[in-house]
Amino acid sequence: MEAEIGMTGMARVLAKPSVPGNATIWSIRLLCSLGSLLIFFQTIPAAAVESGRLVEKDGKYVFVESMDPAVQLMLDRSLKSGLITQEDYDRVQRESEMRTYLLQPSYKAWYDRGFNFSMNDNAFLLKIRARLAIRYTQRERNDAWRVGDSKNYPELLGVFGDYRANRSIDEGSSFNLKRMRLYFMGHLISPDFKYYIQLAGETAENAQNPGAMSVLDANVQSTHIPWLNVQLGQYKVYFNRSQINSTAAMQFTDRSLASEAFTASGLNRRDTGITIMNDEEVYPVNYYFGVFNGSGPLVNRFAQFTSEEPTQGCPGGQTGGNPFPSPATGCPINQRNLNANYRSSINQLMYAARLQWNIMGRAGYGEGDIAYSESPQMVVGGGYAYNPAINTSTDNAFVGIDLANLNFRRQMATIGNARILGQGVVDLSTWTLDYALKYRGFSFQSEFWFRQVNRHNKGLPCVQTLTQGGACTTFAPGQYGNMTGWMVQSGYYVIPRKLELAARYTFWDPDTNSGGDLIKQVDVSLNWFLFGTYDHQIMVTYSNVAMGMGGFAIGRSAPLPAVGNPALAASFPSGNVPLDQGQQTLIENAIRIQYQLFF
Amino acid sequence: MSSGNIQCERRGDGVSLCVALLVAVAMLGGCARLPYTTKTLHQDRRVVINAQEELDRPGYTHPATLSRSEVAAILAGLSTREQQRLPLRWFAEEVPPKAIFRADEIEVLAPYLAEALTKVGPDERVHFEVIAPGLNPSMSKDSLGGWVAVRDPYLYLSLEYFHVQVPIRTTDLYDYNYPTPPPLAKDYLVYFEPGRFWVTDQKGRRGVNYRAFLQSAPTTNGPGRELRTPAGTP
Repeated sequence: MEAEIGMTGMARVLAKPSVPGNATIWSIRLLCSLGSLLIFFQTIPAAAVESGRLVEKDGKYVFVESMDPAVQLMLDRSLKSGLITQEDYDRVQRESEMRTYLLQPSYKAWYDRGFNFSMNDNAFLLKIRARLAIRYTQRERNDAWRVGDSKNYPELLGVFGDYRANRSIDEGSSFNLKRMRLYFMGHLISPDFKYYIQLAGETAENAQNPGAMSVLDANVQSTHIPWLNVQLGQYKVYFNRSQINSTAAMQFTDRSLASEAFTASGLNRRDTGITIMNDEEVYPVNYYFGVFNGSGPLVNRFAQFTSEEPTQGCPGGQTGGNPFPSPATGCPINQRNLNANYRSSINQLMYAARLQWNIMGRAGYGEGDIAYSESPQMVVGGGYAYNPAINTSTDNAFVGIDLANLNFRRQMATIGNARILGQGVVDLSTWTLDYALKYRGFSFQSEFWFRQVNRHNKGLPCVQTLTQGGACTTFAPGQYGNMTGWMVQSGYYVIPRKLELAARYTFWDPDTNSGGDLIKQVDVSLNWFLFGTYDHQIMVTYSNVAMGMGGFAIGRSAPLPAVGNPALAASFPSGNVPLDQGQQTLIENAIRIQYQLFF
Repeated sequence: MSSGNIQCERRGDGVSLCVALLVAVAMLGGCARLPYTTKTLHQDRRVVINAQEELDRPGYTHPATLSRSEVAAILAGLSTREQQRLPLRWFAEEVPPKAIFRADEIEVLAPYLAEALTKVGPDERVHFEVIAPGLNPSMSKDSLGGWVAVRDPYLYLSLEYFHVQVPIRTTDLYDYNYPTPPPLAKDYLVYFEPGRFWVTDQKGRRGVNYRAFLQSAPTTNGPGRELRTPAGTP
């Protein structure tokens, strides 16, 4: 049984002067230290009584005195008239309160931003929440979408995961269950040992990730030591602000395309691992350091492998011959080599670090200033992530006939990093800088990203040979460069806490060595927060996206992979027509109307 | 739609659009303002008292001098019930008003409120919050909050939270990435007993004619309920 301090008692305690005399200061410190230890180990066998307590009744919180008012009245009058002594009065009060305390249930249940179930001593809490974001999208695309996007967001379909251009007709109208989330969170044993589980089931917006229930987050957190909080499990990597922000608390219906691409891992914003950090509410300067698989959620590096022939050390990846660069010294030809089973990167991990300085106040996460900050809230932060040995396919340009790594490649294609595919094994180093300001309903945020892609195989990728395993006759026209981008967004609550107008501009260069490949995005949004919180909102977001299709992408642009005489169609295992014909700019104008309920 | 048309429409130049919007936002900047805190007059784990500047120059007669007992007597007469939203207001059964302050809350609040009324200016109001542990004490507090102002002979009280669970952190305790702004202030109907002192002033605002009330009512909370002196006051 843990102590619960009664309201009146607490008032008396709290109202005492906060500065004790010198004679008692050390003993108080000692007591505080002992108290902290007791709290830490959750062994508080103290007992206390209440003069009453707050109870939830018909959706309202009311204070109920422990003692029946009639009895209380009689006691008061008896004391006043001298029928009983003050000692008797106090004893009856205590016994009555203890009786009430013992008779009450040992748990409580209430609704407050979720359904809460808790033991009275607060040693266990389960909070169940759900979030629905239902969306209607009306979009108009230009004719270039008939050719489609094969470079940034291709779909990798079929057992071989061959590239498919993402194409469509001009006009699109669709309803989406954009987000459906179920949350189970709370604490166990102590309020400082927490758990968090988030399940998601939502409409798929592409063909390679069909909608299904999946586990987005599953982690535990220790907050016993404010400067050394620990989070373990699967969750969003603390890297850049726009990714850390919850989609439930945004100024637009979606993150910008660029910020989706610049995740720490380059695959997904979530990963499995461990992070140490300090408490943002306590310290103005915050650090985050995490170690992760670097492979996205619900998967680890055992799902990534390279193709190897039965002869060890001899690269595989295509039927009937060696891939490029080949023949490797001492490697035989014509072995069975669809053995995509050599796991050579399982000793690698991703490292992500973030440093943040709350220059003024605590801007926190959430994009707009819904809280109507009375004083300026300013924060600046930066992050670095190193994710080594990501196999984007065997480095022989024959992506379409390499079974390997569909999981990794699909993750990259889903978030717009598909230009990196086909570059073999790469190390991704990603930097980010971000800034946020919130003040009296106004908000401004900006982010800068840069990703260096370090290819293990140096030199231009070989794409054509005359014979299986023969010398290279045609190389890729250029080397893949790096990625960079930036974003600014601002908003203002025209009606404080309720109606917000926001705009965003995003610039993204997915390959710094290519021309005509820039992606520019403009968004304007009108957001209505019905109850002054993010929990209940209607958003109308207009987006304009222009996506340049210039540049070379292995397996999608000419020259396409071939073995044999390039004049013969039969030499091209995946066909001889490039997917990026014309290399026009894809343009989309879309209006998204979204209703969100978080309860 | 042809690609050419979209080309013309499309960038409407994105940057200039954003700039235009930001300018518009900046122009709107002066329009939508809320009263804001100018100074914190008292803060402990139980009571927080702030001076808040009102934007429409209300012309209060602050500083106002009321004793703690007088403030306590006024607070004891106030009651409230939550106002239903339309259209529920037309159909929902009305809940009888409840006393806003319990005796223990008056005990801790009145001294600081009386002191604060002597420290605010004519454009300021006294914002108060009486805090108790929330249902999940690690995450929330039970808040009884609102503001008080005086324009002689009236004392105005507006209630924002009546035992509402208010998060004590800016982000969720369990979902680190989710901000937890305080809930929006609710609409409460406030009453005062004896009702003859609950009057409408010249501007149509409801308030307590506290001068008349104090002349006719005792200003102590009864035997054994002497109000304490706030820490740090002479």
